[in-house]
Amino acid sequence: MSTAGETYYDRKGLLGTLGRDGLIQIILIANTVIMLAPIVIMVFSAFKTNAEIFQSPFSIPDFTHFGNLLKIWTQTNFLRYLFNSVVVTGSAMVLILVLGTMAAYAIARYEFWGASFILMFFLAGLTLPLKLAIIPLFILMRDLGILNNQLSLILVYVAMGLPTTVFILTGFIRTLPNELEDAARMDGASELRIMWSVILPLVRPAMVIAAIQNVVPIWNDFFFPLIFIQNDDLKTLPQGLTSFMGEYTTDWGVLFSGLTLSAAPIIVIYIFLSRQFINGMTAGAVK
Amino acid sequence: MWITALLVPPLAFVALFIVYPIVSAFAYAFFDWNGLARGEFVGLDNFFKVLFTEPYAGWTRNAFGHNVQVFFALMVLQNGMGFLLAYCLWRGLPGARFHRVAVFLPVVLSTIIVGYLFKLFLHPMFGVVNVSLKAIGLGFLAQPWLGQSSTALWSLIVANTWHMVGFPTLVFLAGMQRIPGEVLDAVRMETESEWVKVSKIVWPLVAPSATVVFTLLFVGAFNWFEIPYVMVGLDGSPYGSTDVLGLYFYRTAFGNQSGATQDFGAGSALAVLIFVFVAVVAGIITVKLRAREIQL
Amino acid sequence: MKKRNLLRLGAALGGLLVALPALSQELTFWSWRQEDKAVYQQLIDTFQAENPGITIKLEAFEAANYNTILSTALAGGTGPDLMMVRAFGAMESIAGAGYLMPLSPENVPELANFSPAAVAAETMRSDKKTYAVPFASQTQFVLYNKAIFDQNGLKEPQTWDEFIALAEALKAKGIIPFANGTATAWQNETIVGALVSSIMGRGFYDDLIAGKADFTDPRYTEALSKLKDISAYFPDGFIGLDYPSAQQLFSSGMAAMFAGGSYEIANFRAQNKDIQLGVFAAPGKTAEDEKLVAIYFDGGYAANAKTAHPEAALKFLNYVASKKFGQVFANSLNNISTVPGVTFDDPLLGEVAQLNEHSIPYLMLVHFRYAEPSGSVLLQGEVQKLLDNKTTPAEVGKALTEGLATWYEPFKK
Repeated sequence: MSTAGETYYDRKGLLGTLGRDGLIQIILIANTVIMLAPIVIMVFSAFKTNAEIFQSPFSIPDFTHFGNLLKIWTQTNFLRYLFNSVVVTGSAMVLILVLGTMAAYAIARYEFWGASFILMFFLAGLTLPLKLAIIPLFILMRDLGILNNQLSLILVYVAMGLPTTVFILTGFIRTLPNELEDAARMDGASELRIMWSVILPLVRPAMVIAAIQNVVPIWNDFFFPLIFIQNDDLKTLPQGLTSFMGEYTTDWGVLFSGLTLSAAPIIVIYIFLSRQFINGMTAGAVK
Repeated sequence: MWITALLVPPLAFVALFIVYPIVSAFAYAFFDWNGLARGEFVGLDNFFKVLFTEPYAGWTRNAFGHNVQVFFALMVLQNGMGFLLAYCLWRGLPGARFHRVAVFLPVVLSTIIVGYLFKLFLHPMFGVVNVSLKAIGLGFLAQPWLGQSSTALWSLIVANTWHMVGFPTLVFLAGMQRIPGEVLDAVRMETESEWVKVSKIVWPLVAPSATVVFTLLFVGAFNWFEIPYVMVGLDGSPYGSTDVLGLYFYRTAFGNQSGATQDFGAGSALAVLIFVFVAVVAGIITVKLRAREIQL
Repeated sequence: MKKRNLLRLGAALGGLLVALPALSQELTFWSWRQEDKAVYQQLIDTFQAENPGITIKLEAFEAANYNTILSTALAGGTGPDLMMVRAFGAMESIAGAGYLMPLSPENVPELANFSPAAVAAETMRSDKKTYAVPFASQTQFVLYNKAIFDQNGLKEPQTWDEFIALAEALKAKGIIPFANGTATAWQNETIVGALVSSIMGRGFYDDLIAGKADFTDPRYTEALSKLKDISAYFPDGFIGLDYPSAQQLFSSGMAAMFAGGSYEIANFRAQNKDIQLGVFAAPGKTAEDEKLVAIYFDGGYAANAKTAHPEAALKFLNYVASKKFGQVFANSLNNISTVPGVTFDDPLLGEVAQLNEHSIPYLMLVHFRYAEPSGSVLLQGEVQKLLDNKTTPAEVGKALTEGLATWYEPFKK
């Protein structure tokens, strides 16, 4: 380390080092406890009866008491909501990646008048809070005849996801060397072929990031289903959650198990893919 | 030809589902509405109503004031804690990897889940918070958190902070990790003070992260909707002390069970005003903060 | 030979194809009572059995969003043929836009026999036309757990002081007197109607409607201060207790009374099959003061003005105005049907009908929801403030009057 004179650490010795680092560890551990405690309590409570929850909220439950979870699983539309969320999020993601890659490739590779302007157009989409245009969107969906239809959700999510996706992919494609494509072009490959065989495999990492960046907000969205979807069979998971929170208000064990089951998919995926998640969701924010 | 084929579909989506609605929203505000049937052109009437006519003017001021309060509170709590946690994680002490995963876990949860979870925790009789306080002898601190005007908004702020603090943490962390090693070594030779290092070197150098985090927080604070909606309901119970622009807009445009009727005209005017305000101020913030950023 | 047969066959088929639509008509019917779907389906099946060729498709929505969903659909031309509509102000916003078919004793003869107050609830003030067949009245009063009262030797109170003493006795025994919580905004309006209608009195109501009094009247402010007094017997931290939690306290037997509406009867019985319910009107100051409950009409059934099947729609509306329908409605849905001549098998409903004979309207919902700021929203906010010790009854009265004066003519000075 430093050789110029005595440092703070040298002066204080081991205790000094432990003091500062110790404080940091305390802060981090305290924070982790605060972050995880509510989730742990939620999961524990899913296995308890009302009385157990009210009297001993922190105790470790009898994990074989599946009753609450079973109720949510079989007596509510939980599976239906889960299915709807998967369908809506999946379709939106596919469209976003396909269209986003197309646009990003065009902007990044082809020098043409208006390229920057179009990029700006997509960037503007990034900053506009679409919630405030909900009234015209609502009327548009009504006029298109897709109100109360999952298509309305998918189309809106695609439109909302395109700006960041285009932004991330454009930046990425710009860093790829041109030689591969030029070589393919000289070999006589068509533009479509080039895009499919040369570019796509290379862009995959950025596509994963764009995918994660979009999947979480779309999966968790509540506002658009609230406005567009009234039919119970078409509701997505966050919206459906409000249905069974309303139905079982007196049975807290069931309420907590509803929350747990709703949170479970994304928590599990996150724990396995945490690095990708963190990269994905902070990309675009970190230039 | 080929380029057009590539660009037209994505552009069409953005044009139809983002640009057209936003432009329409501007237009709708200038008309009178009967339910969802558009009436006659009324010029700036809706804007005047929302800004200057009671009871709307009072509600607008009330809601706006709360958004401002929320913004500053979250700035200190959420972004402040984020910076502190980022700094702690940056040191790379044992366990940092685990802490990093933990701090971001709440962020991936749906806001609805977070809202309901905290609502259950804050229940005056059976919620974990009050039950624990009573159990450790601090029963006098147990309050009806969501029912008192003094604690309701802060309860929402705390819930939001718990949910989102992981985001600024990781953005700041990424910014800190980009500080070149040479700069840090040079600093270490000049001074041992952590404080000097943080305030004079680290803070300015993570300016790009700060710009992003501040701007996003501003936009988020003024568009706040889900957490209040789930935890206290559309009216901003108790008696409007948690009313924010998001709730007020939704109530006005889409109606409320105890209210009179919905008013799309006033709702649209409100949306336009919120939008213009957020866009302008966010733009100013970004420009000013960008100027701070030092490129190395 | 063959050709002629073919032609005959073709004509017959053609005739059938033309006649088919007339033979089987499908109408949509929207409701906000998701909880009552099963019973409604039963009622619809009865109607369909008697009217072959007409099928009714029932769709039920969440109550909180129903008004919005309905007005949106109607404005977009995708509205239902038949629908439940609210009463008073909420009905006018839909009828006023021309979406509903006007009704009268000409096309729904039974309407002539309904009580005038019920018909008035579904009549638009401006054109004096009726737009829906009323289906139920709801009453705000005090519900109580009979078992708890019997176990503790308690009786329905005859004066306000007895009422307070009753609450004290319960508290002393460790039972929560009232289950009510006020975190959910509309519950604040309910407790006013349920607990202090007798205190404000019929005289105040008559003067208010005649334009001789406003909400600063001492009779009203005294009612509010009595409300504040009795809130001392609400649960600890009740200002943070929301509506479902309050219901839970009552249905689980932890609290003895619930100041609420007749719609709670069905709710509580669903939450706790064994609960024994009683009802009474919160008393006035003296035993001679008229014991009043607050009453209003919940809604009615209406037909879409632009329906493709007007005759079928009217057939259904006549059905719901009939005693047959009203009887099933009252007995299966635990509601006070407004159809004339309906008797109540359930003794509790019979009690409610009796209490209804001494009632004043549920003020804000009935008279003050016609424009913004709605009286309901104002009252709910002010009562929350009052119970949180942030304002006084006199100030509440003033705030209500001034708030409503922006559109309510008699209050404009």
